[in-house]
Amino acid sequence: MERKPNKRLLNHYSAWKYIVLIVTIIVMLFSALPTFYGEDAAVQVGAKAGLTLTPVALRDKLQAEGVTVKRIDQKNGETLIVLDADNQQTLVKTLVSSMVTEPKELTLSLASAAPSWLQNLGFQPIKLGLDLRGGVQFLLDVDVDPVYQTQGEALVDSLRQFIREQKIRGASVYLDQTNQLNLTLPDNDARAAVRQMMKQSYPNWQLSNTDGAGLQIKLSQEEQTKLRNLTVQQNLQVMRSRIEELGITEALVQRQGDHRIRIELPGVQDPAAAKNVIGATASLAFFEVKESGSVNAMVLNDKSGKPIYVSRTPVLGGDHIVDARASLGEMGMAEVNINLDRVGGQKMSEFSRTNIGKPMATSYSEYSRDEQGKAKQTQEIISVATIQSQLGDRFRITGAGTYQEAQQLALLLRAGSMTAPVTIVEERTIGPTLGAENIENGFAALGLGMGITLLFMALWYRRLGWVANIALISNMVILFGLLALIPGAVLTLPGIAGLVLTVGMAVDTNVLIFERIKDKLKEGRSFALAIDTGFDSAFSTIFDANFTTMITAVVLYSIGNGPIQGFALTLGLGLLTSMFTGIFASRALINLVYGRDASRHVRV
Amino acid sequence: MKNINLTKWRYVSSAISILLMITSLAIIGVKGFNWGLDFTGGVVTEVQLDRKITSSELQPLLNAAYQQEVSVISASEPGRWVLRYGDIKSADTEQSNVDIQQALAPLNSEVQVLNSSVVGPQIGQELAEQGGLALLVAMLCILGYLSYRFEWRLASGALFALVHDVVFVLAFFALTQMEFNLTVLAAVLAILGYSLNDSIIIADRIRELLIAKPKLAIQDINNQAIAATFSRTMVTSGTTLMTVGALWIMGGGPLEGFSIAMFIGILTGTFSSISVGTSLPEFLGLTPEHYKEQVISDTP
Repeated sequence: MERKPNKRLLNHYSAWKYIVLIVTIIVMLFSALPTFYGEDAAVQVGAKAGLTLTPVALRDKLQAEGVTVKRIDQKNGETLIVLDADNQQTLVKTLVSSMVTEPKELTLSLASAAPSWLQNLGFQPIKLGLDLRGGVQFLLDVDVDPVYQTQGEALVDSLRQFIREQKIRGASVYLDQTNQLNLTLPDNDARAAVRQMMKQSYPNWQLSNTDGAGLQIKLSQEEQTKLRNLTVQQNLQVMRSRIEELGITEALVQRQGDHRIRIELPGVQDPAAAKNVIGATASLAFFEVKESGSVNAMVLNDKSGKPIYVSRTPVLGGDHIVDARASLGEMGMAEVNINLDRVGGQKMSEFSRTNIGKPMATSYSEYSRDEQGKAKQTQEIISVATIQSQLGDRFRITGAGTYQEAQQLALLLRAGSMTAPVTIVEERTIGPTLGAENIENGFAALGLGMGITLLFMALWYRRLGWVANIALISNMVILFGLLALIPGAVLTLPGIAGLVLTVGMAVDTNVLIFERIKDKLKEGRSFALAIDTGFDSAFSTIFDANFTTMITAVVLYSIGNGPIQGFALTLGLGLLTSMFTGIFASRALINLVYGRDASRHVRV
Repeated sequence: MKNINLTKWRYVSSAISILLMITSLAIIGVKGFNWGLDFTGGVVTEVQLDRKITSSELQPLLNAAYQQEVSVISASEPGRWVLRYGDIKSADTEQSNVDIQQALAPLNSEVQVLNSSVVGPQIGQELAEQGGLALLVAMLCILGYLSYRFEWRLASGALFALVHDVVFVLAFFALTQMEFNLTVLAAVLAILGYSLNDSIIIADRIRELLIAKPKLAIQDINNQAIAATFSRTMVTSGTTLMTVGALWIMGGGPLEGFSIAMFIGILTGTFSSISVGTSLPEFLGLTPEHYKEQVISDTP
C-alpha cells in the first residue's frame, strides 16, 4: 500500500493526463451531440430514378398534398427529401413514385437532424433498436433436413446404379427417417467394392459396418455443418436481395445461431407486405441457346439486360441439381462443379452429346408476391457457358469469371437443390407511436434518476459532491458518445434501463473513495494525504465490485437477444466509463483543487 | 455493549433471511411462474380502442374469432388492451393471424394496433433454456472469481447472500404472478451482479481487518466491517434505489417488471449482504488464521 513512485509530488497528475482527459470528453461530447438532435424520416431518390423536378417544384407539389417538407437536399443527382412528420414517409414514397420513371430507386431512410457542421465531422446519432423506433422484426428458421434428404436420395440412386453395373446380386438400399442409408450386401467382397467406390467418389460420407455384410452410410458431421452453413448462407443472400426491393436503407438481415435468420425492418408497419416479399421461392433451369432472332425461341435478359434467345423448354430443371460448389481449376481458373441426380445426369448426357461446342444458358427465376400480394415471376439468365465435352451427372462450368463470381453462381445454382423450407418462427411489430412513447418514458426516467442523484450527492458530500457530480455527468457524456461511436451498438428500451441503472451505480465509485477519505481523515491525516491513501485503498474494492457485474453483463450479451443485448451493452459500457470518470476524472479534479490542502480537521 | 447488540441483531436478521428464503422456495414451488411470451411462445397484441369499450365486450368477440380463451388485460392507459393467446397454427401459414380489425369490427371502434408479437413455441423453449444457462454460467463465473479472490468461507457468505436475493425476487414474481419475461430475467442477472457488489465490499473490509487486527474476535471484526462500510452501503443502495424508482414511475409498462425486480433485488441485496453475508463465514469458522499466510501476496 505504501509504494508510491511519486512521493515527492503528492496528488499530482502530469499535464498529458489532463490533455487526455479533456480531449476524451470533448470528442465524446461531439459524438454524443447528434443523438440529441434525433433523426428525421426521409425518402431517398436515387440518381437513376429519373426525377426531373427541381427541389422547389418538388416541395410545392408535396405541400399541395399536405406534406410538410423540412428540407430537400440534392447532391450528385441523388435527392433526399427530409420530412417533418415520421408517419408521412410511406405517403411521400407513393407520391414521389408517380413523379419518377424508376420507382424502384426510391428508398425510405433516416436523416440526422443535427446541424451540418456536426455531421461533416463524421458524427452520427446512436442507432435505435426496433422497440424505440417502431418497425417489424422476423426470425426465420431454415429447415436444413430436406437438404440432407436430397443428398441421401442422390446417393441412393448412384449406389443402385453401381450395384447394377457391378452385377451384385441380392443387394438393397434404402434411406431412413434420419437420412441414413442402409445398405444390405451379399458378401464381404461386395462390401469392399462399395467401400472402395465410396472412398473415391463420395469421401464426405461416413461408413460403418453392420451385422452381416451390410453398411450404414451417413453424412459426416463436418459435411453436415458445411451443408448447413451453405444453405443458411444462400438463404441469407436471397433474403438480402429481396429485402433490397423493399427499399429500406436501414433494413438488417443477419444470421442468428446455427440455422436462423433475423430480419429487422425499421419503419415498416405492415408485416403482411413484408411477409409476401420474404416468402418467395426460387428455381433454376438449363436452356439450349438459340441464335438471336430465332422464331421458335424464348427471349430472356441476362444481368446486363442483353436479350438471349433460348429454347422454349429447358433441357433440365434446377431440381435435378444436388450440389454446386465453386473451386479453382487446374489452370487457376475459377469453375463451378455441379452434381446432378441420376435422371438429370442422363438428360444432360443426352443433350450434351449432340451439342458439343455449343453454348448452354442457365436461368434463375423467382416466384414472389409483391407488396400488394400479387404473384409475380422474374426470370433472368445468370450464365452462358460453352459445352466442352459430353457431360454426365458431374460436370463443371468454367468461364464464370473471378472466383467470387463463381462462388456467387454456385450459390445461385444451389438454390434449386438446397431450397430449404423457411418458416417464420417469430414476428414482432412495434407501432411508431409506441416506439416514440418508449423513448420519451425511458429518457424521462433517465432525467429524473439523474436529477435526484445529482441533488443527493451535492447535499450529502457537500465539499466533494460537486466532484462526483461532474464525474457523473461526464460519465453520461462518454457513455452516449461511445454508444454512437461503436459500430453495431444499438440503443434499446432495456438499454435505457441499463443507462438509468448505471447512473445509480456509477456514483458508487466516488462514494467508496469518499468514505475511505473520511476514514483517513478520522485517523488524523491531512486532507491531501487522506485523498492520496483514500484513492489507493479504494481501488481494489472498486475493481472487485465492478468485475462481478461485468461478468453478468458479458453473459447477458451472449444470450444474443436484441433488446437484452442492448441492456448488457449499456450496463457493461457504463461500468467501464464509470470507473474511468469515477477514478481518473474525479482524481484529476480533486488534485487540482484540494491536492495541496494540508489542513487536518476537514469535514467531508 | 453496542457491539454485542450488533452481533445479536446480525444473528436475528440472518435467521429472518433463512426463514424468508425457505418461504420463498416454497412459494416458487407451489405457485410457479407466469411465464411471458418470450418463453412460452404465442401471440401478444396491444391495441388502442375507444375508451368506452369494456373487457366484457371484447372477450366474447375475441374468443370467437380465435377459437380459444384470449386473455384480455387492460394496459397502462384507458382504452388500451393487451391481448394474449396461443398461436393457432404454425406461424408461417397465412391463416395464423386472424385479422384483429375484422375480429373487433362489431364494436364500431377505431382499432389501432400498437404492437404485436408472434413467437413460435420452439423459440420460447430455446430462450428459456438459454436464459437458464445464462443464469448458471453467470453463477459459475462469479463462483470462480470469488474463490480466486477470497477465502472460501468468506466467499460462501457472499454466494449465499446472492442466492438468497435471486430466490427472493423470483418468489415475488411467483407470488404476484407478474409476467416473467426476458427483461425480468435480465433484471435477475443484473441483481446477481449488484447483490455481490455489496457483499464484496463488506468482505473486502473483513479481509482487511483480519489482516490488520488478527487478535480481534471474528464477531468484532464483522461488526467493525459493517460499521465501516455502512454509510457507503446506504448511500449507494439509496442512489440506485432512487434511480430504479424513477424508472418504475416514469419508465412505463414495458419496463415495469424490470424496475420492480431491480427495486426488490437492491433492497434484499443490501439486507442480505449485512445479515447472512457476514454471519455465514463466522458460522463456518472463519478466523484471522485463514488470512495469515496470504498476507503478503494478497494485499494490493
